[in-house]
Amino acid sequence: MLKVNRRKFVRGSTTVAGSAIVADKFLFGSFSGVTAAQGPEVAGPVEDFVATTCWIGKQDCGMIARRIDGRVVKFEGNPTNPRNVGTLCPKGQAQIQAVYDPNRVKWPLVRTNEKGVTGEWRRASWDEALDMVADTVSEVRERDPKKVLWQKGRSKAKDFYDDAFVKSTGASKLGHGAFCSDAGYRALEYTLGTHAVLHPDFRYCNYMLSWGWNITNAGGNKFCWLTWPRHMVEARDRGMKITHLDPRLRSAGPFADTWLPIRPASDLAMALALCHELIALDYLDRPYLSTYTNAPFLVKPDGMVAKVTIGEGEEAEEVGLVWDEEAGEAVPFGETDNPALEGEFELDGEMVKPGFQVFKEHVEENTPEWAAELTGLSAAEISKVAREFGENAQIGSTIVVDGVEVPYRPVGIMAYHMAQQEMGFQTARAMTMVPMLVGAVGAAGGQLSDFTWKIHKNYAKFEKFTVNDPPYDFVLNGSKYFPINTGFPGMVAKVMLDPERYGVEELPEVAILHMVNPLNSFPSQKEYLDSYGKFKFVAVISPWLSETADYFADVVLPAATIEKYEGPISATDQYVDAVTLRIPPMEPLFESRGEIDIYMDLCERLGVLFGDDGYLSVVNKELKLVDTEFALPLDQMPEVRDIFDRWSKSQGIEEGIAFFEDPDNGTFVKGPVSPTKMYGYVAETPFGGALHRLYGDSLLDAQNQMKEKGAEEIYWQDYTALPTWRSPTMDSSPSEYEFYLISYHQIEHKQSRTSFVPMLAELAPGSYLDMNPESAKRLGIDDGDEITVESQNAITGETRSLVTKAVYCEAIRPDTVAMPHHFGMWTHPQNKGQGASANEIYFTGEGYMTNTADQSFHVKVKVTKGSEA
Amino acid sequence: MTKYSMAVDLDRCQGCRACMTACTIENNTVQSNHWMYVFRFEEGTFPETEMSFLPRPCQHCDNAPCVKVCPVGSRFKREDGLVLTDADRCIGCRYCELACPYGVNYFNWQKPEKGQYDVVDWKDDDLEAVTGGLIPPYRNPDLDELYGEEQRHTAGGGHAKGVIEKCTFCVHRVEKGLEPACADTCPTNALVFGDIDDPESPISAYLKDRSPWQLLDEAGTKPNVYYIGGKPPNKELKEIERPKATV
Repeated sequence: MLKVNRRKFVRGSTTVAGSAIVADKFLFGSFSGVTAAQGPEVAGPVEDFVATTCWIGKQDCGMIARRIDGRVVKFEGNPTNPRNVGTLCPKGQAQIQAVYDPNRVKWPLVRTNEKGVTGEWRRASWDEALDMVADTVSEVRERDPKKVLWQKGRSKAKDFYDDAFVKSTGASKLGHGAFCSDAGYRALEYTLGTHAVLHPDFRYCNYMLSWGWNITNAGGNKFCWLTWPRHMVEARDRGMKITHLDPRLRSAGPFADTWLPIRPASDLAMALALCHELIALDYLDRPYLSTYTNAPFLVKPDGMVAKVTIGEGEEAEEVGLVWDEEAGEAVPFGETDNPALEGEFELDGEMVKPGFQVFKEHVEENTPEWAAELTGLSAAEISKVAREFGENAQIGSTIVVDGVEVPYRPVGIMAYHMAQQEMGFQTARAMTMVPMLVGAVGAAGGQLSDFTWKIHKNYAKFEKFTVNDPPYDFVLNGSKYFPINTGFPGMVAKVMLDPERYGVEELPEVAILHMVNPLNSFPSQKEYLDSYGKFKFVAVISPWLSETADYFADVVLPAATIEKYEGPISATDQYVDAVTLRIPPMEPLFESRGEIDIYMDLCERLGVLFGDDGYLSVVNKELKLVDTEFALPLDQMPEVRDIFDRWSKSQGIEEGIAFFEDPDNGTFVKGPVSPTKMYGYVAETPFGGALHRLYGDSLLDAQNQMKEKGAEEIYWQDYTALPTWRSPTMDSSPSEYEFYLISYHQIEHKQSRTSFVPMLAELAPGSYLDMNPESAKRLGIDDGDEITVESQNAITGETRSLVTKAVYCEAIRPDTVAMPHHFGMWTHPQNKGQGASANEIYFTGEGYMTNTADQSFHVKVKVTKGSEA
Repeated sequence: MTKYSMAVDLDRCQGCRACMTACTIENNTVQSNHWMYVFRFEEGTFPETEMSFLPRPCQHCDNAPCVKVCPVGSRFKREDGLVLTDADRCIGCRYCELACPYGVNYFNWQKPEKGQYDVVDWKDDDLEAVTGGLIPPYRNPDLDELYGEEQRHTAGGGHAKGVIEKCTFCVHRVEKGLEPACADTCPTNALVFGDIDDPESPISAYLKDRSPWQLLDEAGTKPNVYYIGGKPPNKELKEIERPKATV
C-alpha cells in the first residue's frame, strides 16, 4: 500500500553495520565512521518512511513517520511542508507515546451506570454502538433535526464533519470559537471584513506590538506555534523590534525588546490612548482613511450615518454621504477624491461630522495620562509606543514586492487571545484602529489578518442587524441579547438550565461530541456539570475517555489519533501556498477507526449517506468534485482512501493519493503567494471591496433595537459605534478579591489531549499559580506553598475555589496571578496529582463574556495559604 | 579531519524543549535522563526582569575530563570529535559524572523498562499485539548496533541498570549523514550541527561572522558546543519550570 522510497533499506543484524545511506538531510562534505555492509546481507528489520500530518496540535504540521517492520518508531518534520519545514514541537515529537497509549478507548463502550458520576462501561461491537446512536438520533431527528446537537472542540476535516455530517443530518452545530478568539474574529469581520485576528507581515515588519501574544508558548490565529515564532525570529534577525504588552514576561521570554506589564483587561484603554496619541502627533494616513474606510461618512447628531440611495430597482444601494469641501456640499461616497475627514457641516438642517471627526473627539479624553491609571503603565511609556509605531510606519512610503509596488508600513500588532476578555470585541476593534490610522492595514510589513482579502459573509450581515422578539433558539441567534452571536456553549449551558429566562422553548435532546471535552476544557465547569445531564443521550467520538464522556456519555466511539486518512489540510505558511493530507502511518490501533469512517457508517444508518443532499453529495460539493470525473458516486460507500485519491487527482496530481503518501513529497506546494493576494491595497479589488468600518453605526442601531426589545444594559452597553472604555464587571468584586486571575498555554500541552502523555507530563507536570513574590510574601505565602484560590462573581456573588501551589515569579505584575490551563483531568493514570484547572473557578455568562457571546478568561480572586478542604 | 560540533543560537531558542523530547524518543532514554536539557531562567526583580533559555547537550570536549577519569576506557573520544560511552564496558563507577562540570552524565538507577514512562502499561496485551511487547513501543533498533571504526556499543540509552549514559550527538544518525535528533526538530533552527573543520559546513558558515562563547570556558575543557547570543549563565539566574524529576 505504502510506497517505499529511496531511503528504504534492509538493515543488517546487530552484528552487521547498516548500509550507508545518503539521506536528503546529508549535511557534511564528508564523514567517517560508517562502513557499508559487506558480505552477504542478513535479513533484518525493514525500515521505511511514510509522509503524514501531525494530529496532536492545532497546526497540523507535515511529518515523516519512520517505521521499522511497519511499527512507527519516530515522527519527524517533513521538510517539504512550508509550515514547519522539517521541524516539530515537543508535542509533535511526544505524540508517539499517545499513539501507543493502551489507555486509549480501545473499542466502543456502552455505559452501565447512571450519569453525572464516573462511568462504568461494557464493551460493545461497532454495530451495536452505531445502532444505538443511530436509533436515538433518528427518533429525535424525525421530530426536529435541530434538536440533535453536534459539538466540536476541534475539527480536523471540516468538509467531512462540520459540513457533510452536519448539513446532511440537519443537526445544530456548536464550535469552540467562543472560548477561543472569536470575539476578535467578529471584530475584524465587522471592521475589515476579513475572517481572522491581527498579525503582522513578518517578512517586512520592523516594529511589532506583541500584544498578549504568547510567543514562546502558543501561536496565533492561523498557525499554532511553529510557523509564526519562526517568522518572528527571522524578523528579529533582520532587526525587527518587539514591544511586548502582557502582564507576564514569560510569554515573550527573551524576545521582548521592551516589556510593558499591562494590567489585565485594560487593553481597550491602551488602544484608545494609542489612537489618541497617533492623532495628536498627526501620524495619519489620510488617503487610506478617505479612500478605504468610512472615516469620511457624515454622522448625524443621533449617531447614525447620513446615507443616500443610489441606483434603482435591484441595483439600488445605500451609500454614505461625505462632505465635498470644494463644492461645499454633501455628496455620495466615491464622488469626491478629497472628502473631509474633519470639521462640522450643516446637512438638511442638522449639524453633521465626518466619522473621523467623531472618533477624534471620542478619544480626546483618552490621553496617555488617563490610560496610565487604568493600564498600570506610565503615560511616557504609552506615548513612546505611539511615537514608535507612528515613526516606524513610514506613512506614504511604498516598496516593490515581486514586481508590484505596495504601500509600505512596516508596523503591526500580533494579538490573538486578547479578545478573550469581557470587552474583547471592542478591544479588538480599537486595536485594529491603531494600524488603520497609519494606513498599515493590508500594507507590506504592516497589518494582516486573514491570508486573503476575501470578504467574510458576516461583513454584509453586520451592516444591518435585526433584533427579534422571543422565542429564540437555544443558541440565542437573532436575540435581543446577542445581535452578534458567536455560538457560545457557555450560554447554551445556561439556557439549558433556565430556558424560560432567555425566552427559549426548544432545547437540544441528544448530543454528539466530537473531539471536545467541555467539562475540562471550557471555563466555568459547574455549568457543564449541571447541564450536560439534561441531554437524554450523549455520544462521544474520541480517542481517549474524556472527562465529559466519563460523566455523561451513553456511548463512546473510539476514534483513531493519527492513524487515519483526513484532510485536506492547508500547509501554507502564508507566503507559500500548499496543501497536504493526514495519512495513516499504521493501521488504527485497537478497534479505533477514523472519524470519516465512523460518520459514513452513522449516516448510512440514519439514511442520509446516499443521494442528493446526502453526506456523499455534500462531500462532493465541499471538495469541489461536483461535475468532475472524480465525483463520488452517490449510491455506494467509498473507501476513505479512495475519496482522497479522487480529491488529489482533482487537484491535478496524477499519482493521486500516492503523492501524499510518498515521504519524498507529502506536501503539494502550489508556489509563492502573490502580493496581489497578500496585500489589500493591491488586491484585484482593493481590500476585497470592503470599506473598513472605523465608525460602526450599525452597532449603535443594534443597541437601539436591543433597548426597544427590553434587553438589560449589560447586554447592550458595548454595542457602541466606537469602542468605549468602561470598567470591567469583575472590578466590582469586593476588594479582598485583589488579584486578576489569567490562565495560559504551555508549549508542551494542547487543550485536554496532552497532559496525560507521559513525556509531556514530565516536562510540564501540573498546575500551579504564578505569584509575584512581593504579593505572596505579604500574604505569608512561600514559594511552593499549598494555596487556595477563590474567585468571586461580581454579579451573582457566587464564589468558587481550587487548591494548587504557589510558584514565585518575578516576571508578573503584583496584582495578577496566572495558571497554566491544561490540567484538572482525572480519567488517565498520568493525570493523578496534576492538580486543578483555572476553568474550575472561572465564570461564564453575564459579566464574564463579551457582547458577542464569547467567553472571558478573567476573574478576580483572593489567594490564601493552605487548603480550606 | 572531521570534528563534529554544535552551535546553539540563543537569539533563536524559544525554550520549547522539542529537542528534549526528540532526544528521548530517538535515543530511547529513560525518564529523568535528559541528555539534552533546556534551562529556563528568570532574572531580576519586577519589573526589571529578564528571561532566558539555555539548551545544554554534552559539550563533547576536546579535553574531556570524563574521558580521563574513566577507569575502564568506556568513555572515550573518537577521532571525529564525539565523546561516547561504551555501554558494554561501563562499570557504573560514576567518576565521569563527578568529573564533568556540565552535569551531562545520567546514571541508570533501575532496570531500563521501569524508567520507560511506565505510568503507562506498555505490556498491555492489546498493545503487545501491535508492538510485539517492545518497551518503549517506539524502540529504535539502531541503538543495538555497533558504531565507528571501534565497533563499540555507543548509541542510545536505557541499555542496562547501573551504567552511565549521555548525549552521543546521535552517533547512529551522524553515521547515516543525519543531524542529531535535537537539531533536526528544532523549530527555529537554533541548533546547528556539523563538521567545524570543514569551512563549507553549515556550522562553519553559521559561526563565521558571529562571536560565539563557550560554557565554562575557563575550565579548560575545550568544549565543542558554541553559544551565540545571550550570555553565560550566572548565579543570579533562577531556574523556572523544571521537569518533574531531574537527576
